[in-house]
Amino acid sequence: MVTTQEKKTEEKWGMVIDVDKCIGCQACVVACQSENNIPVNEEEHFNQRRPIQWIRVERYWEGEFPDVKARFIPIMCQHCDNAPCEPVCPVFATYHNSQGLNVQVYNRCIGTRFCANNCPYHVRFFNFWEPSWPESLKNQLNPDVTVRSRGIMEKCTFCIQRIRRTERESGRDGNELKDGDRALNTACVNACPTDTLVFGDFNNPESRVSKLRKKEMDDHHGRGYKMLDELGTSPNVIYLKKVDKEAKESSTH
Amino acid sequence: MEFTRRQFMTLMGGSAATAVVFQACGVPPDEIKVQSSIQMPEDLVTGTDNWYATLDRLNPTSNGIVVRVMEGRAKKIEGNVDYPINLGKHNVVAEAGLQSLYDPDRISAPLVRVGDRGSGQWEEISWTDALSRLAQRIQGLQSTSGMAMVTDPVGSHLGMVVERFLTKIGARHLVFEPLDRVTLSAAMETAFNHNNQLYSQGRFVMPDFDIENAEYLLSFGADFLSTWVSPVRFARSYGRFRDSDNNRGVFVHADSRFSVTGANSDKWLYVNPGREGLLAQSIAQVIISEGLGDPESVRSLTADGSIDMSHLDPELVSSEIGVEAGKIRQIARDFASHRPSLAIGGGSAGAHTNGLSNLTAIYLLNYLVGSVGKKGGVILNPESPFSDVMPASSGASLDEWSNFVDEIGRREVEILLVRGADPIYGLPEGVGFKDAIERLPLIVSFSGRMDDTASMADLILPEHNYLEDWGTDVPNPGPGYQMVGFQQPVVRPFFEHRGIHHGTRNFADVLMVLSQVLGADLDLSADNFLEILRDGARKIYERGRGVAGDKSVGDFTDFPSFWNAVLQNGSWRDEAARFDSTAPIPPEFPSSIQPPSFGGIDTVAQDVFNLIPFASASLSDGSGAHLPWLQATPDPITTATWRTWVEINIRKAENLGIKEGDVVKVTNGRGNFVEALAYPHPGISPDVVSIPIGQGHSSGGRYSQGRGSNVLSILDTKRTEGTSALAWAATRVKIEKTGRWMRLPRFENTAPELAVDEGGHIIPLTSGD
Repeated sequence: MVTTQEKKTEEKWGMVIDVDKCIGCQACVVACQSENNIPVNEEEHFNQRRPIQWIRVERYWEGEFPDVKARFIPIMCQHCDNAPCEPVCPVFATYHNSQGLNVQVYNRCIGTRFCANNCPYHVRFFNFWEPSWPESLKNQLNPDVTVRSRGIMEKCTFCIQRIRRTERESGRDGNELKDGDRALNTACVNACPTDTLVFGDFNNPESRVSKLRKKEMDDHHGRGYKMLDELGTSPNVIYLKKVDKEAKESSTH
Repeated sequence: MEFTRRQFMTLMGGSAATAVVFQACGVPPDEIKVQSSIQMPEDLVTGTDNWYATLDRLNPTSNGIVVRVMEGRAKKIEGNVDYPINLGKHNVVAEAGLQSLYDPDRISAPLVRVGDRGSGQWEEISWTDALSRLAQRIQGLQSTSGMAMVTDPVGSHLGMVVERFLTKIGARHLVFEPLDRVTLSAAMETAFNHNNQLYSQGRFVMPDFDIENAEYLLSFGADFLSTWVSPVRFARSYGRFRDSDNNRGVFVHADSRFSVTGANSDKWLYVNPGREGLLAQSIAQVIISEGLGDPESVRSLTADGSIDMSHLDPELVSSEIGVEAGKIRQIARDFASHRPSLAIGGGSAGAHTNGLSNLTAIYLLNYLVGSVGKKGGVILNPESPFSDVMPASSGASLDEWSNFVDEIGRREVEILLVRGADPIYGLPEGVGFKDAIERLPLIVSFSGRMDDTASMADLILPEHNYLEDWGTDVPNPGPGYQMVGFQQPVVRPFFEHRGIHHGTRNFADVLMVLSQVLGADLDLSADNFLEILRDGARKIYERGRGVAGDKSVGDFTDFPSFWNAVLQNGSWRDEAARFDSTAPIPPEFPSSIQPPSFGGIDTVAQDVFNLIPFASASLSDGSGAHLPWLQATPDPITTATWRTWVEINIRKAENLGIKEGDVVKVTNGRGNFVEALAYPHPGISPDVVSIPIGQGHSSGGRYSQGRGSNVLSILDTKRTEGTSALAWAATRVKIEKTGRWMRLPRFENTAPELAVDEGGHIIPLTSGD
C-alpha cells in the first residue's frame, strides 16, 4: 500500500533571512532556548566563551561617532547540502537526512568535536557541563526535545520536533502540510517580530521561501546571497542583503 | 538528586525501589496518585499539547500570547495571531514569562516577618490568619486616610476593583512606573486633545502610531523597537515598514544615545541632551518658511502667522542642537515631501527639565504634514468600551512621591499596601523613600516574589502569577479601535498542592474578601473576580457589536458560547468602533523652549558626562531581573549579559585610560554612586555615558540578588517642568577608575570570527535600486 506520505516528493526545508529587517532584538534567541531545552547560559559560560545559542545575533559596527551604524545578522546552522561537519564525524552522529536537514544523533555522539572544528559558521556547540535547572524550572522543559548531557555536540535542528509532530498530525487527519503553518514553523520564525525569518519547503514552488528564492536569487537585481558561498557548502539558508541608500555596492563588513 | 539513565533502570528493576525513586525526585505525593482516566480533565491527554490564549503582563502594554500546555505544565509561549496589539508577535520579555511561573524563588504562602525588618526571617501563616491580621490593623487605624496603596498601572476590571476598594476604605492610591509616562501623556494631551475627546472616564487614551504605512519616520529619543510603550506592536509595524516590495520607508532617529532603535534607523543623528524639542521646532520652521506644510495646520499652529519662528532658523540653532544646519533643512524637506510621514518622540527626549515642551513640539510636527488621524500617521484611539472600566492609569509624578515621603515622615501614613510595584528599587535615593518607610508601622506586599520592596514588608500576601490568573485588559494605547483582551489561567496554580490555607491567590479576590471582613460594600456585580469578568463580557455580548475570533457577536446563540470564544481567541474587538470625532485642531506652537538644566555634577571637566540611563531590552525596568533567560540575553548593542555596564565613547575611554571591564565609579556629586564595568564602543557620543536599568537588586531571588548596580539610585531629583515627573536623563556624573577589573560577560567574540574571503562580506549592502 502506498501512503500519501510516500507518493509525493520529500520536502527540502530551508530558510530565507531578510537582514534588512533584523533589529537585533534577540526574540529568536530566547524562543530557541525555550523550545529546545537549551541550558541557561550562566555568567561563567560567557566568561569562558562557551554559551550555547543555536541561533545567535551578531552585531557589526560600521564607522564611528557621529557617523556610526550597527548592523545585525541572525546566524544558525545553515543545513548545508555539502556540510563540512558531516564527513569528519567518526561515528556518523551527524548526517544529512532526506528532507535536507543536517541532523545530529545525540546518542551516537562521542564528543570528538571534529564537526565543530570543521563548521565554518561556528554553529555547533559542545556541552562542556552537565545541564542543570532548579527543580521548579524543569517544569518548563519541552517533552518533545531531549536534554543533551555533558560531552555531546548539539546544534540547530530547524525544530525537527515541530516538523515531525505536524507531519504526524496532518498524516493522521489526512491534511497536506501548509506553508507558513505556525505549528510547523521553527520557534525562532514564530518569535521574530519583524518577519526577518521565513521558514519553508524549497521543493514546494508555492511556498514563500521558494518564491523569495526565485525573486531574490535568480534575478540579478535580487538581494539574495549565501553566507560564505565561496566555500561551496551550498547552505539551505538564503540571506537578503541589507538595504542602505547611502551604500556603495561594495562596502564591507 | 541526579540519576543517570543506567542507575535509573537499575533502580526501576526492583519494584520495591520504585516508590523510593519517586520520593527522591521530589515529586509531590499528590501528583503520583493514580488517577482514573475517566476522571481526568478533558484537556489532559498524555502526550497531547494544548495551546491556550491569554495575556502577557510583563511588557508595558499587554500582548496576546498562546501558551503550550502539556500534562498540566506550561511549556512554551508564542504570540497570539488573533490579538490586535501584537498580531502573533512577541519578544524576549513575553517569552520568559514561563520562568516567572516556575521561578524557583516564588513565594508559596502568606508570610509574616519574624526578625528585624529586611532581615529575611519569615514565618508561613495561613490566609485566614494573614487576612485577619491585616483587617485588624485596618480597623485599628486612627483615620482611614492613614492607609495608602502603591500599585503598578492597573486598568480594566482589576483597576475598577482596586479603585472601589480604596474609595470605600478611604485610602490613597499611588501608581508607580519607573520610567513613567506622565510627561509623554501630558505632551500627547497638549498636542492631540484640543477638544477633550481623548478621555475615557477621566483617563487619557494614548494614540497609536501607524509606522507600517508611513513613508518617512522621524523619531526622537523613543526606543520603540525595544522597550518603549508597545514595543512588540511597533517592531511588527516596523518590519512591514521595511518591506522592500512595498516602497521601503525611510527612518531617521534623533537621540542623545545610540539605542537599538537608533541602530536600525537609516540615519542616526546625535542631538545634545534635552535639545530634541529645539530640533523639532527648527524642522517646523523650515517647513513653514518654505511653504511645505499643510496650510490649514500652519495657520492654527502659528496663530495666523503671529508667532514669530525666525529665531528657530537652522543656521541660528544648529550649534545648540548639535546637528548641522544643512542636515536639519534636508530632514525637514524630506519629512514634508515623503508623505505619509510620522513623527514620534519619548524616552530621554521627554526626561529632561524641558521634556514636556520637547515632546509637545515633536508631536505637533504631525499636523504640518497632515498625519493626525490619517493612515501612516498618528491614529487616535476611541474610549474604553465599558462605561465603568478604565484603561491603565499613568504613574504618579515625582512631586507626589516627595509629598508622600513627607507624609510618612509626619507619621500620617500607618499602613502601606504594595502590589506589582517595586518603589524601593525604582525611586532615586534622593527622594528618601527607602529611609522613610522604616517609619511605617505596617507594610503589606502582595508580591509573588521577594522583590526589594517585599523584602522590607511585614506581611506578604502572595498573588498568583499572571499565567495562573484571570483578568482583562483595555490596552492603552489600543490598536485604533475598541478591544478588550481576556486573560485566563493556562495552568492550575503552581502552589495549589499547598492547600487552600496556603498557596497564592488572585489579588482582586483578596481585596474583596478583605472588604467583606471590614464590612465595606464595594457595590460590585459579583463576589468573586471571575464572575465580575464574566459580567463584563456579558455586557459586551448584550450590546451585540464586534467580533470574537472570526465570528460576529450577534451570531452567538448564547452567552456561554461567546465567553468560550473570547477566551479561546484572547480578545473581543470592534473594528468599526474607532475615534469618530472631528480631527483635533492643532494648538499653537510653543514659541520657545527653555534650555534643559542638569542636576548632579555642575563642573565641566574631561571626566564629567551626561548620564542617559535606559531600560534594558531584556530586564526592562528591573522587573525581569529574576528570570535567568533574560539575564542571559545579550544586550543588542553591547552584547553584554548578567552585569551592569557603562557605555562610553571608545576614543574618550582611550583618553581616560579606560579599558573594557574596568570597574568604574559613577558619582552624582551628592554622595551617591554606582559601580559598573566599562564598555567602550564607537556609537556613543563623547559627552554621554549610558547605563542600563535593571540590575542592582538587594533582593529578588538567586538570579537577581546582589548582581550589578542600580543606576536609578543615583539619579538627581530634577523634575520636568509642567508635569513634575522625574527628569531621569538630567543628571551629570563623574567617572572614576577604581583600579579593579572584572571580565564583562558578553556574547561578542564567544564564537570565532567568520573566515570571510577578501572582498566577501557577512552583511553585504545594497542601495536597493
